[in-house]
Amino acid sequence: MTMTTSTSETEAVHSSTRSAAPLIVLTAPFGQEAQGSLDETLAHLESAWPGESILVATAGDVTSTQPSASTFGPRLVTYAQPRVSAAAPLLTAANFIMAAELVKELNTPTCLMLGAEAQTVTPEVLRAFANALSQEAVDLALPCYHLGSRDGLVNTAMLYPLTRALYGASPRFPLATDLGLSARNLQRLALSARKFIHADQEDALLWPVAEAAAANFSIVEVDAPGRILTQPAAPDLNALLSHVLGSLFADIEARAAHWQRTRIAKPQTPVFLHPSTEPEHDAASLVSAFQLAYYNLQEIWAIVLPPTSLLGLKRLAQLSPADFVMPDSLWARIVYDFILAYHMRIINRGHLLGALTPLYLAWVVSHFNITAKQSSPMAHREAVAVAFEADKSYLVSRWRSPDRFNP
Amino acid sequence: MGQQIQFALSQSAHRVLLKVASFLPGIVALMLAVILLTLIGAAVSAILRRVLSALKFDERIAQNQNPALASGIQGWSSTNSPTVLVARVAFWVCVLLGFVIGIAAFDASYSSSAQVSIYLLPYLSHATGAAILLLAGNLIARFLARSVLIGAVNAKLTYARFLSLGVKWLVLVLTGAMVLDHLEIGGTIIELAFGIFFGGIILTLSLAVGLGSRDLVSRSLEKTPAVPAVEPAPLIPTAQRVGDNLRHF
Repeated sequence: MTMTTSTSETEAVHSSTRSAAPLIVLTAPFGQEAQGSLDETLAHLESAWPGESILVATAGDVTSTQPSASTFGPRLVTYAQPRVSAAAPLLTAANFIMAAELVKELNTPTCLMLGAEAQTVTPEVLRAFANALSQEAVDLALPCYHLGSRDGLVNTAMLYPLTRALYGASPRFPLATDLGLSARNLQRLALSARKFIHADQEDALLWPVAEAAAANFSIVEVDAPGRILTQPAAPDLNALLSHVLGSLFADIEARAAHWQRTRIAKPQTPVFLHPSTEPEHDAASLVSAFQLAYYNLQEIWAIVLPPTSLLGLKRLAQLSPADFVMPDSLWARIVYDFILAYHMRIINRGHLLGALTPLYLAWVVSHFNITAKQSSPMAHREAVAVAFEADKSYLVSRWRSPDRFNP
Repeated sequence: MGQQIQFALSQSAHRVLLKVASFLPGIVALMLAVILLTLIGAAVSAILRRVLSALKFDERIAQNQNPALASGIQGWSSTNSPTVLVARVAFWVCVLLGFVIGIAAFDASYSSSAQVSIYLLPYLSHATGAAILLLAGNLIARFLARSVLIGAVNAKLTYARFLSLGVKWLVLVLTGAMVLDHLEIGGTIIELAFGIFFGGIILTLSLAVGLGSRDLVSRSLEKTPAVPAVEPAPLIPTAQRVGDNLRHF
């Protein structure tokens, strides 16, 4: 991984270290066709820090069409683009290594990593990130996106509730594509990332919230309205889920000593979720897919899940699409049992994660039905998280004594 | 005539009894060796388990293992921990050693011209190889059957179970044929029967899947545009990927 900086840029670096602007690392590549997006991003950065020198690291050989009349404003530093991951735009080990090297080389105290569609991050949000990092001196700042009720479903179903229940940290988007990081936090993340890089796993995911919680670093959430998120490029949901959840489960396994001691997080102030403007999803096809999975995957689920959960799934399989509602407690128990099975290696891990996909899609239908009839998306997201917190004792008990405690 | 028959019978009975009398000590020695080495194997296995557990062998292996390899190597590992695996290997090595010692003792109890072990030891190694083949074949069949089942269910194929069973039996038939061939049982009949059976399963699966997916294939051929691949993969905004209009991330 290499980067190029000129002498004038290095001078600008030292002036930038005195300013409030962190080092901005744009993790998504800007090709010739995205020149407009880059210019828009730079304009936002200039608006966020008017009259200040801002150092912007971007992948590949790009140039700004914006006039740079003075030493102030955004200055571009280019770095070699890491291998594009199938999970892009999710941040990978290679992204963290690159950001850490840039921070070390340029001697900046803080760093703000911005993912794809960075031009949709408003100057106010950029400023809020910088304030959190410089004035509040936090180690990790995560955005709280304002998404539609049908967006970020994996996050609502598993990532957020698991992070909240296990690590006592309640940022709503643990796998955000935009991150504000202190230098020490970034170095710690880079240390973890190097293990993956040495094994030629550049596209491995890291979990900054878990890492920060384990190091007892301060975490803060920044409200980020208007941010447009891109979906991962991988066309296969099953492969993508296996990649993300496999990484999450492995991280949970590695941090077992920490999360077994962690207390439940404080409740968060609610953030509004936009009602969806999407057309109604075809719940019938998803429910029939679940029923197909139920009749075919019972033998695999029976290895992983206790009889009570199987009974719950049996009842679900008999429901019509309109009445299809999976209790939050059942979903939490299913996820915990899959984590336990992953840990105990009851079956092949690839099979295990593949068998979770139909259950997740069943939860998606249930989520749509609940948010359409019973409660708001925000309320349901919190209810799921509370269900995970309430059932954490089950996970801890079975983790410690897998054979003795199996209701 | 009667006396001759009686003489022949008594002679043959005498010879058989003599053979059995000379055969029995060898059999007893073989059984004793196997039982003794099995007991020793069980003891060694138990001791190994305790010692490795005390040394936290599993935890050390997990710590030394690169996290990036976790999904690869550990994904293939069975339900057993490394400790159990080592203990089991030690046990079965002892059992195998018992068989080898037993056969050598069996050979020694015979007359020097018999040389039973010359024939039995190679056959024992063939039988062991066949048992390993059978075990590996079963494991691979189960693994592939589950892989196909899960993949097909996630692809929403209604004949997922049928596909899975087909793959399972293909591998089992292949394994069975290999085992019999390894044991040199059946000769050309096995090869012929295997060819017919294997070909039959392939043809059945091809017909079933081909007829069942006719519409799917034609639709996919109609939809696939002839566009060259572009690197790096473009990031498509909003919900155009990963399942209709759902935004999973």
